[in-house]
Formats: sequence, C-alpha cells, structure tokens
Amino acid sequence: MDGDEVNIQMEGLLKVFRKDDREIVALKDFNLQVDDGELVCLLGPSGCGKTTVLRIVAGLEPKSGGRVSVSGEEVSGAGPNRGVVFQEFALFPWRTVRKNIEFGLEVKGIPPCEKEAVSSRYIDLVNLEGFENVHPQQLSGGMKQRVGIARALANDPAVLLMDEPFGALDAQTRNLMQKELLRIWSATEKTILFVTHSVDEAVFLADRIVVMTARPGKVKEIIPIPIPRPRDRTSPEFISVRGEVLSVLETEFEKTMAQELSGD
Amino acid sequence: MKSLAQFIRGTVQRNWRRVLLGALSLVVFFGAWQTYSWYLNANDIGYKAYFPYPGEVAEAFLDSFVTPDFSGLLMTDHIMASLKRIFLGFTLAFAIALPAGLLIGSYLTAEAVGMPIVEIFRPIPPLAWIPIVLIVLGHLSGPVVIVFLGIFFPVLFNVILGVKRVDPLLLDAAKTLGAKRNHIFFKVILPFTTPYLMTGIKVGLGIGWMCIVAAEMVGQYGGGVGYYIWARTAESNYDYVFAGIAMIAILGILTTGVASQVERRLYRWMGMK
Amino acid sequence: MEKMTSIIAVVVAAAIVLAGTALYVLYDLGDDDGDGNTVYYVVEPPSSMKGTLAAGQIDGYIAWEPFVSDSVVGGVGTVLKWSGEIVPNHPCCVVAVHDPFISDDEGQELAARFLKAHMNATDWINAAMENKASPEYNLLKEIAVDFTMRNESVVEEALDHMTFHYATDDDFTVALENFTEMYLDLGVIGEEKIADGGYENVTDFVDQYVNGSYLEIAQFVEPVDTILNPDSPIRLGFLSGDLHQLAQAVAKSSEVLGNGKSIFENYGLNVDDAIGAPFANGGAVMDAFAGGYVDIGYLGSPPAILKHLNAEVDTTILAQVNIEGSAIVVKTGSGIDNLNGLVGKVVATPGESSIQFLLLKIVLQQEGLSLKIRT
Repeated sequence: MDGDEVNIQMEGLLKVFRKDDREIVALKDFNLQVDDGELVCLLGPSGCGKTTVLRIVAGLEPKSGGRVSVSGEEVSGAGPNRGVVFQEFALFPWRTVRKNIEFGLEVKGIPPCEKEAVSSRYIDLVNLEGFENVHPQQLSGGMKQRVGIARALANDPAVLLMDEPFGALDAQTRNLMQKELLRIWSATEKTILFVTHSVDEAVFLADRIVVMTARPGKVKEIIPIPIPRPRDRTSPEFISVRGEVLSVLETEFEKTMAQELSGD
Repeated sequence: MKSLAQFIRGTVQRNWRRVLLGALSLVVFFGAWQTYSWYLNANDIGYKAYFPYPGEVAEAFLDSFVTPDFSGLLMTDHIMASLKRIFLGFTLAFAIALPAGLLIGSYLTAEAVGMPIVEIFRPIPPLAWIPIVLIVLGHLSGPVVIVFLGIFFPVLFNVILGVKRVDPLLLDAAKTLGAKRNHIFFKVILPFTTPYLMTGIKVGLGIGWMCIVAAEMVGQYGGGVGYYIWARTAESNYDYVFAGIAMIAILGILTTGVASQVERRLYRWMGMK
Repeated sequence: MEKMTSIIAVVVAAAIVLAGTALYVLYDLGDDDGDGNTVYYVVEPPSSMKGTLAAGQIDGYIAWEPFVSDSVVGGVGTVLKWSGEIVPNHPCCVVAVHDPFISDDEGQELAARFLKAHMNATDWINAAMENKASPEYNLLKEIAVDFTMRNESVVEEALDHMTFHYATDDDFTVALENFTEMYLDLGVIGEEKIADGGYENVTDFVDQYVNGSYLEIAQFVEPVDTILNPDSPIRLGFLSGDLHQLAQAVAKSSEVLGNGKSIFENYGLNVDDAIGAPFANGGAVMDAFAGGYVDIGYLGSPPAILKHLNAEVDTTILAQVNIEGSAIVVKTGSGIDNLNGLVGKVVATPGESSIQFLLLKIVLQQEGLSLKIRT
C-alpha cells in the first residue's frame, strides 16, 4: 500500500446539537486527513466531540456543515465500507460468534460456502477458534471485542473506526487487546481511526495522535509518534512522548473542568 | 425407566427441601379442604353439598372421562372443544398482534393511526363483548373471538414494548454493517422483540383461559370445559363441577407450561439462557 | 418502507387464511349427521335468543315469556309450538320455602299468610285478564311493564299465552314425577339420591316435597290491620323480569287494592326483596336458600327438584305460580312450519336443566326425532 494516499478527509467539519432551546456547538472547523493504512488516535477530554467525529465518519450522525469523505467518496449515511467497533461491543446476543461475524456478509447476500470461508478466516485472525458456535453472553469482554473487530473486518471495509473499543475492559486485557490490534492491523493493513481518552493507549498504538480541544472540538495539535514498534511502555522514549502528549492535553482538561463547573 | 427413576431420585435429592415444602403445602391444602367439607357435613350446614370431599371430586374427575354427561359428551370432548378455541384464538391473536405491534412500534405514522383505536379497546374486558359477539359472530366463532381478544392485547403491547426497547447501539451496528431497512427489521428488531413476544404470549394464554370459561358459559358449539362447569352447576352435581374446575387448572398449567418450555428452548437457541 | 409494509401485509393475510382454514378443519361444519332425524341444540341465555335468531346464528329457540313474545311482537320469530300443546297444564314456576323458615309456629303462620297473598294476587290477575277493558287490566299491564321492562305490546301478547295457577293438583304432581324420572334416566340425578334424601321412590319424593296443606290453611286467612313481622321481613327470592312470576309483583304493588296497602301488607306481612334478588335463574334462588339469604322464593320447578335432591337444599314446594307459558320459536319467514322442519337445524335452549329443555326433548321424541348438542 502506498502510505501517502489520503483515505479519510475532513474539512471544516461543523456539528451543532440542539438541546431544548439551546444550541451546543460540538465541533467547529474540524480538519483532519488520515492516510491509507495509517493508525490515528483521536485523543481529548471527555465531551470534546471525538466520538462525534467518529460517528460522523461512520455515517451514524449527520454533520451540520463541512465535508467528509472516505476513499474519495462523500459520506452520506452508514455503509459497509466503514467498519465500526463499539465500546459496548454491540454484538447481537441471539447470534453465535460466527453468525455475528457473518452479519455483514449475509446482508450483502454472499453465498453460504463463501460466507463460511470468510468468517472462518476472521475467526482465525482474532484467535477465536473453538468459539464459533458460542453466544456472546458466554464470552469475556476481551473475547467479545475480538468478535466486534472480526465482524467489522469481515466486510473488508476501507477504514476501521474504533470508538474507545477497549474502554470497558480491565487493564490487563486492555494491554493484551492493544497488542492484538496491532497484530491484526499489520495483517490487514487497514486504515484505523481510533478514539480514546487514554494517553497511554494512544502513545502505544498510534502513528499520529490528534489532540482535540475542549468544546467546541477542533484539532489542537497533531503529534506524530516516531517510536518504532513493538513499543515498550517502560522505555525512556515512550515515557517522554507520553509526557509531551499529557502536557498538551492538560490545558484542555482544565478547560473542560472550568466548563463543567460553570454549568455549561 | 431406570434413568427416569435416577432422574427423579437425583432431583429429589438435590431439591429435597423444595420438594418437602411443596408436598407439605399440598397436604395442608387438601387437609384444609377435607376438614371444611367434614365440618359442613358434621354440622349439617345448608350448603354442605356444594363442597364435596376431595375424594368425591377425584372420583367424579375420573368418572367424567368414562361416563358421558347429559349432552352425551365425555370430558375429553369438552377438553378438545376448549383447546380448539384456545388454539384458534391464539393463532388469530398472534397473527394479527405480532405484525400490528411491529408496525406500531416501528413507525410513528402507524402509531398515530393505530394507537387511538387500540387505546379505546384495550381497557374493555374481553368478557364485556360476550353478548354482542354471540349475536354477531355466533356460537362457533364467537367464543373464539373472546379468547382472541384476551390474548391479543398482551401480545400486542409486549411486542410494541419490545420494538421500542430495541438497543439503538444494535441498530447502529447493523447499519454500519450495511444493513438496509428490511434487514434491520428481520435481523435486528424481530429477534430482539422475541422475548417480549413470549412474555405477551404467556400472559395472554393465562387470560385466554379465563376468557374461555366465561365465553363457553354463554353459548358455544360442542361444549367445552367452561360449559361443563356451568351445566353441572345447573344440575347441582358439585363433585363434577369441582372436577371441571380442576380440569381448567390442569389445562391452564399445561398450556402455560408448554409456552414456558417453548420460551426456554427459544432463549437457549437464541443464546439468551 | 413499502417493501416491508407489503411483507407484513402478506404475513398478516397468510396468518388469517391459516387461522380461517384451521377453523374450518377443526370444526366440522356439516349440517347433519345424515340420519335425517336429528335436531341440534345449543345453550344460551334467553335474553340473547331474539338477537341470535334475528342474526341467523340459530334457527329457533325454546324459552319462557316474555322472551317468546319479544320475538313475535318484534316480527323476528313465529311460534312453532306452545308448551301447552306439548304437555297440557305442565308445571312451570313454583313457590318454595326454606325448611328452617317453617320450623316454628310463627314461620308457619307467616308462610300461610304469604300463600294467601299469592292466591289473592293470582286471582286478581286472572280476573283482570277476563276483562281487557277494565282498569285492572291496565294496571296489570303497567305492573308487568315495570317488572319485565318490556313494552306494552310484548306484555299483552305474552299475557295472552300464560295461565296463572296456584293449586298443587294431580296434573302438577304427575308432571313433577315425570320430570324427575327423566332426570334419573338421563343420569342428571343419581339413582342413589332418592334414597339418600330419605324417599322410598319418586312418587314418595314428590308427595313429600310438595306440601299442599299451606294452601288449604291459607284459604281461611283473613286480612289484618297490623304487620305481624315488622322487624324481620320475609326475604323473597324471584327471577329477573320473569313474567311467570308476575303474582309476586302484583302482591307487592300498593295500587292493586286501592286502599294504599299492598296485598302482602293487607295480610300483615312485611316482605322484602332478598339480597341478590332479582336472581338470574332458579338455580341461583336455590343457592340463596342454601346460603340462608332467602326465606320464600319463586322459581322454576326443575331447579327446585335438582338442587333439592342433588345439593340437599332443604326446601318444600308450597304452591304453583303458573302453568305452560313457554314456546318453541322459529325465525319468521324461515318456512319451518312443523317439528320435522327443525331436522339438521340448531335450536337454542336456556340450559339442559331447564323445563324448556325437557319439553323440547319430549316433543321431539313424540315425533321420532332426537335432540343432540351441536358440535
């Protein structure tokens, strides 16, 4: 893949929510480009609109202004070329692991044998062999998210949009899943837009970290992470980059606090 | 047979406290009944014949299966007549309430059109329709429609509730996987609503049995257990009246039992325990 | 949206067709066994018979007044056979007393006075009906309209086909014996119940159950100025709007005697409607006897027999109320003009324990026809 091709393009993105009689500007003049095969983390204080950005790209939320395109195509509504992984997994409880993964293929009308071949491939990819016929309820959080990732990938989307996918997991599982994601990413070479509020996670995963401002959200700073992979959380390099990102973020956290205290 | 015996023994061993208490509760119930009947007879109370001993009722219950009643029917005929009514009423209610509930729950237009009518009819007890239903629909389908009304509303409202409670996250997930409207309907909303539907069916069947007894008392073709109770009351054969009442209890337990089994299997199949 | 709506429409249509098919498969809608002599019956309350007849749900019915004249006057039904043509002078409603009520002298005295009032009211009704131009007849109609909540023409028609009669004569006891025998044959009354009740046989039962002596004593009862039971009224049971039981309505009316007193009061009686009165049927009156809520009641003779023998309700029949007064009604314009016309048709009856059911069974038997429940 030619690393320089632009995949996700956002220009002058605006999002205004109406709440009762008030208008809340969630995003204002948000600009970002994500290159093909790149893993970009969106980082910011809570309520800064990072999830909103992701949902607009996914087509789950209409934008109020600006332009969004994925692989050169203007975004209008949800579509299978953008796979989404949700924090709460959003698996269909009545479907087995395999059936969950095959959902997108079913909808496309892929014939059964091909469907099974594809789902088997992704079950292997996320290391869920032996759990094909198990229902989500019987799986641990980490395994559920493996299903979530496989399900999104099975559609072979142009980009993978991940909304704090490991936010609901315990610390250990979280670290494991981050490594797993990197493995899967290198195997599939997908473009990933990854929303997180964890600096540590962002530094461990990202090619570039996009730090957002407090509301109204826009890009405050884009920090490239030059550390080669596999990254070691205890290396001085990692710790210094993390410190850098934290300091950029800190002023925004303070702003958010002030916003919350003023009751906005 | 050996495995059955083992199963029973195992169950008793595991749940002996439950089994013991359950048995005790039944012993106390039948003991109290026996004592009350004995008390009425011993003191020659005017209505003593209205409360036969449990033993007399058991005898009448068994006899009702071998000796035809006044109308020449056996208890099995009455059971079949009632079961037919329940089955037909249920099929109709299910066939109409499920799609109607899905539509009303899914579309604001359908809700705006459907709800006023539903809200008018919902608070009316199904039994209130009996005199009219008999005249308009007759003795064949009249009682069936009463049963239908009893089952219809619980199913409808549970389906509507289910549709309204569909997890929006699942809808989002489906959309991002490329699902179109009809996919979302059949692959997300419908399965999500199934447990609610089952609850509606269980509640509805219970109400259905209550309705059928009353409906059969007013007019029907081919008897029915409700009719049996009514006719034996008119004859004052109270041991047979109680036998009919016991039969209703048994049939009610059986039908809701079947519904619970279906529900359990469905849930297991759907991975919802 | 369109696609889904049409899918749902198809599902609904398919389901309804399925249910409809099931209805026709599960229920054999064939009209007749094919033996050519079976008449079918269903059971429904007389109050709905006019409606179901008009709607074509039934082909005919047998009921008591005013449910006969209701259909006749409304043009819905035509009388095929009056009950008097089936069993002349057949008994219908009776006056029964709760045995504990007449266990002492005071109760016996009150019962005799009650019967005097009943005789008096019955005689007055019969006299009023003799002369339709009399003010008494108009008053009778007024009382009947109030009691039955029917209009005047229905009441007039009904009165023309009724006979009010109190004597417990031989016709009465013989008919009661016949009815009891029929119930024994049909197994409604177990053979052992006669002996259980302390009776030698059916004749002995009817002899003991009907006590005509009160009517004889009543002949000598004279009006009194004071009320004998001011604090403990006789609790009266009777049926809702049953025109047969008009005598008790007349005896309660303060307009009949012209002196401001009712017939009951004229004989020194304080009579109150029992709790639960008017009752839906005779069985309910007997149940109220058993529960101790009714002292004297007007009710049909079959429930009086059935509940006395089967449910051991301690009662005694003291007098008749009316004879005949029921009829088989068929739909006007149906072309059914004899009993054979009912073959394969559905006739509604008030219940298998009613006198009307027995009459229907008897008349069909006479014609060589059988009566079966509609299945």
